[in-house]
Amino acid sequence: MANVKLTDVKKIYDKNVVAVHDFNLEIKDKEFVVFVGPSGCGKSTTLRMIAGLEDISEGTVEIDGEVVNDLQPKDRDIAMVFQNYALYPHMTVYDNIAFSLRLKKVPEDEVYEKVTNAANVLGITEYLMRKPRALSGGQRQRVAIGRAMVRNAKVFLMDEPLSNLDAKLRNQMRAEIILLRQKLDTTFVYVTHDQTEAMTLGDRIVIMQNGYIEQVGTPMEVFEMPTNLFVAEFIGAPKMNTFKTKLIEEGGKYYVTPFGSKIEVNGIKGDMLRERNVKSQNIILGVRPEHISLAENGGEDTIPCTLEVNEMMGSELHLHVVTEDGSHLIVRTPTVDLDADARRELVYGKKLNITFEGKVMHFFGEEDNRNLLV
Amino acid sequence: MSTLSSTERTAKRHMGINTSRRISNTAAYTVLILISIIWLVPFVFIVLQSFRVESTWQVGYVIPQKWGLDNYANLFKTDFPRWYLNTFIAAVATAVLQTVIVLCMSYTLSRFRFKMRKPLMRFMLILGMFPGMLTMIILYRVLKDLGMTQANAVPGLILVYIASSGMGYYVSKGFFDTIPKSLDEAARVDGATRFQVLKKIILPLSKPIVIYTILTAFMGPWGDFVFARYISFGTSSGMNVAVGLYNWLNRDQIANNYTMFCAGGVLVAVPVTLLFMCLQRYYVEGVTGGAVKG
Ligand SMILES: Nc1ncnc2c1ncn2[C@@H]1O[C@H](COP(=O)(O)OP(=O)(O)OP(=O)(O)O)[C@@H](O)[C@H]1O
Ligand SMILES: [Mg+2]
Repeated sequence: MANVKLTDVKKIYDKNVVAVHDFNLEIKDKEFVVFVGPSGCGKSTTLRMIAGLEDISEGTVEIDGEVVNDLQPKDRDIAMVFQNYALYPHMTVYDNIAFSLRLKKVPEDEVYEKVTNAANVLGITEYLMRKPRALSGGQRQRVAIGRAMVRNAKVFLMDEPLSNLDAKLRNQMRAEIILLRQKLDTTFVYVTHDQTEAMTLGDRIVIMQNGYIEQVGTPMEVFEMPTNLFVAEFIGAPKMNTFKTKLIEEGGKYYVTPFGSKIEVNGIKGDMLRERNVKSQNIILGVRPEHISLAENGGEDTIPCTLEVNEMMGSELHLHVVTEDGSHLIVRTPTVDLDADARRELVYGKKLNITFEGKVMHFFGEEDNRNLLV
Repeated sequence: MSTLSSTERTAKRHMGINTSRRISNTAAYTVLILISIIWLVPFVFIVLQSFRVESTWQVGYVIPQKWGLDNYANLFKTDFPRWYLNTFIAAVATAVLQTVIVLCMSYTLSRFRFKMRKPLMRFMLILGMFPGMLTMIILYRVLKDLGMTQANAVPGLILVYIASSGMGYYVSKGFFDTIPKSLDEAARVDGATRFQVLKKIILPLSKPIVIYTILTAFMGPWGDFVFARYISFGTSSGMNVAVGLYNWLNRDQIANNYTMFCAGGVLVAVPVTLLFMCLQRYYVEGVTGGAVKG
């Protein structure tokens, strides 16, 4: 029930390690923002600065318009779920969830109501009298969430809450977090290194690298218009294919020439290049695996290559192919597009022709790796 | 056939292990029992002496010929109750204050990061290497000027006992260090102050260490002789039991006081024994528990 604003926030650990550089972000009331990035990029540090668990070296953090830099965590009215759950081992589940309420001297009957309510929502009622030690990972995670839920805090912070769970449970909990979000209707800041989690949970995603924000945007924006090569490769699975090639302008039309082919940049991407009057240049071309298709016959706009690995994922195939000059690409094809015979032929050493359309290409400057169209 | 012989072999090996284990167990227990007998003899001896009424001086046998509580009754005609009370007050006050100081100190050094933290810890380590006795003379002067010697020795002693107690943080800090920091952080986010974190999270998780700290803090003053003797400086009303009882062993007093001395010794052992028996379970856990608790 509050907005959070970070202005020029910087974190310098002792020994002059700069973990976060000039972080600027305004999180709106009731927004679900996800910080995502590779390990060590400063996500947790930023989150912990919002929580008040880490000093802010420079800049300001505001919650609800109030600068909270010098406020203790207890005075910031935030709730937090930790990666390792951080349940109090000497207390029962009930006492764990009731802890914050009792500190606030909430009357015991009200505590009872809130705790049992939260336990109901999370499906942990039957474990209320157990100690955390006697719970499974998923159950512990629910308790940790329950503990944060009863707070009714202004901001709900979560630091990789699902990373200790197995894949199946993670998917289930992810769905539950979406439901929870609808029930709580408050401001969420969620940290993860998993781009799937980020894409499915976030209203907006903040992609970070080495302490810098690379891009902020809705899942759709960062997926369709990554501002640079890093974001392009980080978002989407399997990751985007990228290769060095040339962008050529010829009589008002643009072409790319990957691996000896010549493919016209048509559709919206062609229009955008024209609009911006982009010159011919060396670029890094990005094409997502799902945008590459298998061509029937060879031609000027196809790339010959050899199949190395065929991963059957169920609804789709991931084909790892090698071009003639030894570059590795991944092609993602819906299984239904291929008949049984064609599927059977997709084995090691099979010669293929691949192609892609201009409207799904991404162009990055060779030097600065920035998207030419942003 | 081959399976049979292999099971036989396994059985034989098991028997081998069992027999050799039994032998080594027997040997170990024999040695342990012998050691504990040797260790217990003086205690049994003192207890028996304390009930002997036929002579107050040493005799050539162990089992008293006449049993009675005379020695205990006589204790109360001397300054002994006063000494006992002095010791008790000093020990309890020290136990309470020292425990509070040590635990706060350990928590601070374990959880807070401040500029001089490392130098401070190193400084205390080095300071702790000097024997406390070195300070005795200057301490006496200071306490005398403050009027806390002789008859007023008890507050002076308490001051001496707790003065450097902050330096005894090693064990409990080591234990606190094993408690994950995220528990503190979760509690602080949940609305706890630093002190509430210590009280509601850290201490309940460190019960063995708290008990250990209380016990050691109590034991020090309870058995102290050197400082107590020096600061009471011959004034009977300021002595503790160790000093007072020791004076009975003077060449000219011992003949009348020997059995009473034994009775006093038994009474001194009573509270410590009770304390140990109540807290023993935690104490053992406390000394060894830090290593395995996650
Ligand atoms: N106490 C500290 N002292 C010095 N450097 C630190 C400290 N804590 C973190 N760092 C550094 O700050 C950087 C950011 O750390 P942070 O924990 O925020 O990463 P993260 O994005 O959460 O990574 P992960 O996904 O692995 O949790 C890292 O390079 C880390 O080494
Ligand atoms: Mg982290």
